[in-house]
Amino acid sequence: MEFTHLLQYVLAGLVIGVIYALMAVGITFVHGMMKIVNWSMGEFYMIGGYVQYLVITMVVGPSLWFLGIPVAFCVVFILGMGVQRYLLWPMFVGESERRDEYATIVTIVLMILIRNLAIILGGPYQYSVPDYFPPVEIGPLPISGNRFMAIVGTVVILGLFYFLMKKTWAGRALRGMSQNRVGIQTAGINVRRLDEIAFGIGVGLAATAGALLAPVFLVWAESGSVPTMKGFEIIVIGGLGSIPGSIIAALLLGLIESLGSVFISPAYRDLFGFAFLIVVLIFRPTGLMGEKERLA
Amino acid sequence: MPLLEVRNLTKRFGGLVAVNDVSFSIEPHEIRGLIGPNGSGKSTTMNMLAGLYRPSGGDILYQGKSIVNLQPYRRVWKGIMRTFQIPKLFRDMTVLDNMLVPALATAPQKTPEGFGKILAQTEERLKFSGLDHIQHLQAKQISGGQSMLLQIARGLMANGLNLFLMDEPFAGINQTIKDTIMDAILEMNEKHGITFLIVSHEMPSIRRLCQKISVMHEGSLIAEGNMEEVANNSQVIEAYLGASHDDADH
Repeated sequence: MEFTHLLQYVLAGLVIGVIYALMAVGITFVHGMMKIVNWSMGEFYMIGGYVQYLVITMVVGPSLWFLGIPVAFCVVFILGMGVQRYLLWPMFVGESERRDEYATIVTIVLMILIRNLAIILGGPYQYSVPDYFPPVEIGPLPISGNRFMAIVGTVVILGLFYFLMKKTWAGRALRGMSQNRVGIQTAGINVRRLDEIAFGIGVGLAATAGALLAPVFLVWAESGSVPTMKGFEIIVIGGLGSIPGSIIAALLLGLIESLGSVFISPAYRDLFGFAFLIVVLIFRPTGLMGEKERLA
Repeated sequence: MPLLEVRNLTKRFGGLVAVNDVSFSIEPHEIRGLIGPNGSGKSTTMNMLAGLYRPSGGDILYQGKSIVNLQPYRRVWKGIMRTFQIPKLFRDMTVLDNMLVPALATAPQKTPEGFGKILAQTEERLKFSGLDHIQHLQAKQISGGQSMLLQIARGLMANGLNLFLMDEPFAGINQTIKDTIMDAILEMNEKHGITFLIVSHEMPSIRRLCQKISVMHEGSLIAEGNMEEVANNSQVIEAYLGASHDDADH
């Protein structure tokens, strides 16, 4: 195999990895903040894809495709805040036990509901978002323009997310809540409002991933199921609660899937990720960057 | 008018009555001690005062108004802060960022000018508590005593702090840091008029700081007065020794 070809496969793997990262960061963020697993994450990804499709095909056209990204984020952010306020908050009221089980049931029901609503509203069709960017070359390596813009978009969004978390007042409060929920309440923070914002941001990240990938993959009612599965794989590989771990794991998963497809067989593409997951869990049960324990 | 008035406060966990019909009041600028054997309901009382537990019965009046239905963050905004025996720090954040969280949460104006003022105040408080040299370390990197000090310094950052509830601030820390904490309490009380309610097993510290002491046992308030009065109270002696004088004599 020529070196250029190998580089191309590595690049293809990294591209997929970057794209996976956004979804995984969203899942990790919600889990880190609220200590729940949101099983309906893929459905918010799917909504992001639909929003991007509608914005491009019915409102602004392919030349202003980038407007669909903030629109998708805002729509899903508001929707997520509503879900948190009316469906998930009740589990935090009083001294309830087994919050994670409650959240699991609620978010699985939500997944089924949103998926079926999408079928009712959009029909059982697969929608194709028109290309909006010509192919580009990175050195000698050609890459689809849509994928290239998905990477650029992901890097920009992750950069904004990093800035929000590290440099702003809200970011400090969110980090504080992820590290100590009792401590943050007694520091004067309204955790109910912060939970809504955190859930909104988490599902908003999934929606931006869906919007960025709308022209790469098709948009349909079940388009979120594969990214969700990959997202859960990634957060376990990276370590629950670790955002840097999720990003590293996403890149590794993308690479392993790409190189495994070339050197072994593309038929086992999804299997490579699970094999990697098992290997990581054998040698590092807490994931690549997971914490050994979490204090209350 | 008392700053804090607790009326018939009760907390039940299923069949267990952790706090039973407790009433007491604290005057402004007072430093009050709350003592009692393990399991007597002190921390549960503190949790109800801070809003972390909802009382099963009774009322809590702060500056004459009931706060029993207020969320914890609303109580902080009203000037009530609480610390814990095991410090509830943000472990992956720096000491400086830990200090900034309550200051920013309770800041009257979240503008660049307001932020500048908060940073200046944070520097001052860090120096005051002797934590300025470790302000860029993560909270998980500092010692247990420094963690307690940071928790208290963080509490002092709340805008309009008026009543400071401290749960075992002297537990498991060395004498130097204990002295620093006691000096800080006395200074904040004298200079800024902050009222303190301190739960502690450290009798020398309580003796030095508190004008008045309340004693709890098995969820009830059994005595109140200065150190000499409570030390000579037969119910208090019985609670601590586990038997009456007569039994003990045998």
